[in-house]
Amino acid sequence: MPDVPQNAGYMMAAYIVTAVILLGYAVSLYRRTSKP
Amino acid sequence: MSLVQKGRWITLVALVCLAAVYVRALAFTPVERLQGPAQKIFYLHVPAALWTEAAMVLVGLAGIFYLFLKDPRLDRFAEASAEVGTVFATIVLTTGPIWGKPIWGTWWTWDARLTSTLFLFFLYVGYLLVRGAVRDPGLRARYAAVLGICGLCLVPFIHLSVFLFRTLHPQPIILKPSAPSLPNSMLATWLFSLVAFTLLYVGFVTQRYALSLARAAQEDRSSDAGHA
Repeated sequence: MPDVPQNAGYMMAAYIVTAVILLGYAVSLYRRTSKP
Repeated sequence: MSLVQKGRWITLVALVCLAAVYVRALAFTPVERLQGPAQKIFYLHVPAALWTEAAMVLVGLAGIFYLFLKDPRLDRFAEASAEVGTVFATIVLTTGPIWGKPIWGTWWTWDARLTSTLFLFFLYVGYLLVRGAVRDPGLRARYAAVLGICGLCLVPFIHLSVFLFRTLHPQPIILKPSAPSLPNSMLATWLFSLVAFTLLYVGFVTQRYALSLARAAQEDRSSDAGHA
């Protein structure tokens, strides 16, 4: 049986990038909709 | 409660759901034996890809109805959906190569699915640029509707490209005529993530729609002041 590949770094990178993009957009919307 | 506040609440609930998806995917979903932990990128990449395509379908449909009905609400919805679709497309085009490097051995390959998805991203960017460049609201909405309809025509091609061409990209393992080819524990995580992304889409679009509404009211006030 082959060993499970050790590539958790890529997984973490993808999860971090997704969180940054989504949170960044959420903050951007919040700021734009808060302007008088 | 105003539309912006509704959008904010939905977004907040969606972000909490997404945090729960992270915990479930990273700590409680089994690691796939052949691909390793990188397979878990699937739980973010695929729901984001589905909503990237669905957002453009909705932009295109809103465009078609706008051309017939000339209802500015349709144009505002299309604008909101396009901006959110661009955000999701960015997620797809970053998480995809991050998965491709350990699994395929390359960040990118010019196969049909990847190239057509990149084209969809450029179409989204072009759509937003056209909206920013044309000042006349009627003309802007018409040009944007035509671009949205082009995007609508592209989406089925993207979805079917893995069947029409020889591609490196995996075939669908959930959205296919037969039963999903993954265990229930993984399917549950994926479905949970799809719910989180759906809520994110609704929350973001609601806020963005409210923003367009506020800008339109401001434009009307400035044009009234100009005429006076």
